[in-house]
Amino acid sequence: MREGKEGRGGFEGLDACVHCGFCLQACPTFLATGDEADSPRGRIELMRALERGDLTASDPALAYHLDRCLGCRGCEPVCPSGVQYGIGLEAARQRIAEARGVSRLARLALWALTSPKVSRVVYWFARGFRATGIPRRLAGWGRLRFAMGMLAATQGGEMRTKARKVLSPPSPALLFRGCVQQGLFSHVHDATVRTLGVNGYQVGEVKGQVCCGALHAHAGLLDEARALARVNVAAFGEGDEPIVVNSAGCGALMKEYGHLLCHEQGERFGARVRDVTELLAGDAMRGPIGGAPLDMHVAYDPPCHLLHAQGVAVPPLRLFAAIPLLELVSVPGAAECCGSAGLFTLLEPEMSRAVLAAKIERLRETAPQVVATGNPGCQMQIGAGLAAAGVATRVRHPVELLDDAYRAAGRYE
Amino acid sequence: MTILEKVTALLGEGAVLEAGTDRVPRFAPGSPDAVALLLGTAHQEGWRVRIEGAGTWLQSDAPADLALTTRRLDRIPAIEPPDLTATAEAGIGLDQLRQQLADRGAWLGIDPPGLAGRTLGSVVATASAGPLRHGFGPIKDHLLGVTFVTGDGRMVQSGGRVMKNVAGYDLTRLQAGGFGAFGVIVLVHLRLRTLPRADVTYLLEGAREDLTQVGEDVAAAGLTPAALELVSPALARRDRWVLGVRLAGSPALVAADEAGLGAASGGGRFTPLRAEEAHAFWMRLAEGFAVRPVTFRIGGVPSASDELLDLLQHQLGDEWISASPAAGSIRWTGEASIDRLQRLRRTLAGLEVPLTLERAPWPLRSAVGHFGAYREGVGPLVTGLRRTFDPGAALVVATEGE
Amino acid sequence: MRLLYSMTAPSPLARDLAAIVGAKHVREALAARVTYAMDGLPTHRRVPDLVVLPGTREELIAVVRLLAALDVPFVPRGAGTGLSGGALAGEGTVLIVLTRLNRIVRIDRANRLAVVEPGVVNAKLTAATKPLGLHYAPDPSSQTACTIGGNVAENAGGPHCLKYGVTANHILALEVLLADGSLVELGSPGGETWGPDLVGVFVGSEGNFGVATRITVRLTPVPRAVRTLLADFTSIRTAGEGVSAIIAAGIVPAALEMMDQSCIRAVEDSVYAAGYPRDAAAVLLVEIDGRNADAVVAEADAVADLLRTAGARTVRTAASEAERERLWQGRKKAFGAMGRLSRDLVVQDAVVPRSALPDVLETIYGIAQRYGLVVSNVFHAGDGNLHPNISFDATDPALKQRVEAASAEIMSTCIAAGGTITGEHGVGLDKLRYMPLIFDAESLGAMQALRRVFDPEERVNPGKVVPVHACREWASLARAS
Repeated sequence: MREGKEGRGGFEGLDACVHCGFCLQACPTFLATGDEADSPRGRIELMRALERGDLTASDPALAYHLDRCLGCRGCEPVCPSGVQYGIGLEAARQRIAEARGVSRLARLALWALTSPKVSRVVYWFARGFRATGIPRRLAGWGRLRFAMGMLAATQGGEMRTKARKVLSPPSPALLFRGCVQQGLFSHVHDATVRTLGVNGYQVGEVKGQVCCGALHAHAGLLDEARALARVNVAAFGEGDEPIVVNSAGCGALMKEYGHLLCHEQGERFGARVRDVTELLAGDAMRGPIGGAPLDMHVAYDPPCHLLHAQGVAVPPLRLFAAIPLLELVSVPGAAECCGSAGLFTLLEPEMSRAVLAAKIERLRETAPQVVATGNPGCQMQIGAGLAAAGVATRVRHPVELLDDAYRAAGRYE
Repeated sequence: MTILEKVTALLGEGAVLEAGTDRVPRFAPGSPDAVALLLGTAHQEGWRVRIEGAGTWLQSDAPADLALTTRRLDRIPAIEPPDLTATAEAGIGLDQLRQQLADRGAWLGIDPPGLAGRTLGSVVATASAGPLRHGFGPIKDHLLGVTFVTGDGRMVQSGGRVMKNVAGYDLTRLQAGGFGAFGVIVLVHLRLRTLPRADVTYLLEGAREDLTQVGEDVAAAGLTPAALELVSPALARRDRWVLGVRLAGSPALVAADEAGLGAASGGGRFTPLRAEEAHAFWMRLAEGFAVRPVTFRIGGVPSASDELLDLLQHQLGDEWISASPAAGSIRWTGEASIDRLQRLRRTLAGLEVPLTLERAPWPLRSAVGHFGAYREGVGPLVTGLRRTFDPGAALVVATEGE
Repeated sequence: MRLLYSMTAPSPLARDLAAIVGAKHVREALAARVTYAMDGLPTHRRVPDLVVLPGTREELIAVVRLLAALDVPFVPRGAGTGLSGGALAGEGTVLIVLTRLNRIVRIDRANRLAVVEPGVVNAKLTAATKPLGLHYAPDPSSQTACTIGGNVAENAGGPHCLKYGVTANHILALEVLLADGSLVELGSPGGETWGPDLVGVFVGSEGNFGVATRITVRLTPVPRAVRTLLADFTSIRTAGEGVSAIIAAGIVPAALEMMDQSCIRAVEDSVYAAGYPRDAAAVLLVEIDGRNADAVVAEADAVADLLRTAGARTVRTAASEAERERLWQGRKKAFGAMGRLSRDLVVQDAVVPRSALPDVLETIYGIAQRYGLVVSNVFHAGDGNLHPNISFDATDPALKQRVEAASAEIMSTCIAAGGTITGEHGVGLDKLRYMPLIFDAESLGAMQALRRVFDPEERVNPGKVVPVHACREWASLARAS
């Protein structure tokens, strides 16, 4: 178990809660059920009861409500007392995982999606199946059809171009590839490399990197997450180049490697991690080099792990601002979670769909041409929801839009 | 022993007043405790008690074994200008109270119908607000607390003397508009305002529909008049309907509203009144409701005001009417039969508009009732409240019609 | 498959309730119930026997009728942000949670009213009406979370109630479900009542008279001009005198709020940092609003002068809507930020005459000092409604005792100054013990008798508001059948 400051394994982060309830309306699951037990404040009580020993980690009702937390951490930025909900939740989930083990479904999913050899085969098949166009046609609300929609939503453009050489000596950056992102969203990696290239970064590859471990950590498998983190820390070495991540969920955990591993090396690693939009926006927040106009309505859907966990709010907006004519439409509740939350969409389909439904309804009303979001889980979840609801809106990563604008501006060879 | 003798022994000679024409013995207890003593005794003896204030509003004609008047409860124990609060006994005349408040730079934002000497207790018990309701809300909004004596002689305090108070259940609001059916108010804690440094009244004459439109325009322009009252020709003693606009507050705000008023007058011209004219106008309005035999008020939503005025004109004739259209309240006075009033109340109830009978001779009052045509479930609650706060039915109040 | 919930079979009552609302809206497992053991004041704890979350008015009616038939006591609850332990259900009691009844039934722009279900969140109602130029004026600090139903039960206040009045001034009509399952319609959309003012009686009855199922609220035009001032002081006393000066000048600000240093620092450490000066002994937040921009500016200038004369170090005006919003967010989230000071918190809600503020505040800090406690004040100065909060660690029993003693002393100070024990939080469980300090046995008995008119068996929210042992007995208590 992780040793916290007071040796309470992360639960100490919950002490500041005075039960004011200001988090309730920021919680997607509370909005879906209206049930205190599905709210941050209620779950904090559960975690406290677990720590005190009033409830045991094997209590099925305790696990039921903590399992139903998306881990979106939408409650943290609204908390006046700064309760460290996410850290408490991880501690509680670890205890639950120790008590009852991890479900077979979660194990299977982790094995298929994150273990290097197996996942390569899985993603190869998935890409082939995606290319047939069948998943897009089958997309719907049922469990299987929703999975089809998710797969279909990973489709990107197939452009194999490179950024022209920039004049000033480029700054180095290292790309984190991840598992799902590499397996199904390699086009986002390509767009990342190209757009950063235009903005003066030479993006290098790192051998020996593995899955970031976020899915494991969320499932309560902290030791497995730590093992993966150690491999990544070693692979990326001791340099000071920024480590660029274009998947918000991965970035959020990697920035916290220091906390996870409890060592300074991890701390230094975390300090190097930057979301791609942060690098593009630049430290002075001037935003990337402008692209050609794209006449489209775009709804930005900030991933929870970017907005809440990493506190990255403005950089993506700077990116859109670099594209003339692109109009950002505001969708009410855009900052609320989509219900994806890593494996959550698979393990808690009912709650996940309930949370998603509200978002899809509002997207249907505002009807943007594109929903932009910087996390593979969100892209798949929202994409599948839109497909199931028969809404023609596409979901894309923000860097893909900038990439299009650069291509139209003739910045690529 | 007769009632007169018993009560004289109880309260002393000083409490005995001359009986009215109906020979009912009348007593004026000199303190809240004396009220409690008298009502406690009445409850035990099974006497029926009629409550009176100054006798200027509700007709003193309810059949009873004795009449209890609050007119000797006329002290003002506290006026606190820095806190904008005051405490006054229920029998004080409103004119006296106003004068004393004005001397201390304070003001009570209510202008109920009736003669100038109408008692504070009467105004609170009947919750009769006047034109100032538009700017300062109904009577209940001016109350911080009351002390009352139940029909069986228990002295109960509710609320307090401070601006906000949610300690315990709100018995103050039960008494405000309870028509004395749930006890006799003896002491009132009031919320005050500072005496307006500017207070001007403008009148506009015209056809009713046009004036209604002007009233809406004034509201839409965001003006904040203290009163915005539509008055029938007979009541205003003019040829046509009159819209009276009263602006009261700081000179800067009043000047700003005066400037906006011209723009909202819909082509007509508002005439400013001199201070004494304004006083006379509003006094006449208030007093007009105390001279005809029947007075009632109704309350609907603002958009229904026109329709309701039509209905009143159609069913009763547009004798004397005063309406605060934006607040949705209308007051009517004139002559009306039991049958007509009952029919009107039923019609109005269908429109979700309550009719509260404020004054009428006993035969009509007892037949129609101050209240009636209750919505679902209200009747049993009112009966329960009566039984709780006047278990021996000592207080003679025409709560509901027969 | 995943384990479903509870290994034990549901109780017969849970089964019957599930038949009405659906199994997933009945919570019987201990882990789910403990999350309902507290409201916004966690010093009180009661675990309900059963929690039920009806999703429609019809379901709610069916639930209450079932409980009436079985003679089971129940407690209605909104978002659970109350601060008096009022929405807690103890042993043998069912908690009815109304958060799912969150529909805005109707907004009538012309007549400036809205009809809502009890679970509608306060701030969401205002958000829905803002585009029409209207808002729901009562703005308790918890408005982003609390429900209109809860506001009605507690007669909730808020900063802007100084000018616009508390909840009771904004409720026109109510549909109420009594404990016996019968429906009552109180009030009318025009605000006139059917008989006595039962709307006024119901508002603030702390969920003890029944459940409001439909609420008709008055909407207020959004003011066209607003000025927000922040004044800071080097002593609490001068800040209190600044308040008195404004009131005595006859100016009615839209809001007039005070925060002391301890509170300022907690807010400034939080995500809601508003730019309050950390070294100030107190700040006043004053808002002037109205229709006419010139008049508002003139009045705001007058207020600024009064404050400077009273001894304000600086008075600054919010330059933009964003700055105004920030100043207000800091104030409204201040209570939540108290968790930064210590893990436990006692919240008070006394009201004193406004002219007594400087003296009372000084006495309160004196008491805190004597007991060696941290007291933070954040409150509605314009109403004289104090919220002295004492931060402490409840795991230390000796400390807890000192907090209790200091609280009682603070309360008697306020009562002695002519004040009352609660201005907007309600009595609930928390202030039961103080009720006999301001009401005699007869008056307490009258309150209990009033309650029994609505709920003869005392089955809704039993054991709250009136300390029954301190009541004088009232003979005739039955409701007409």
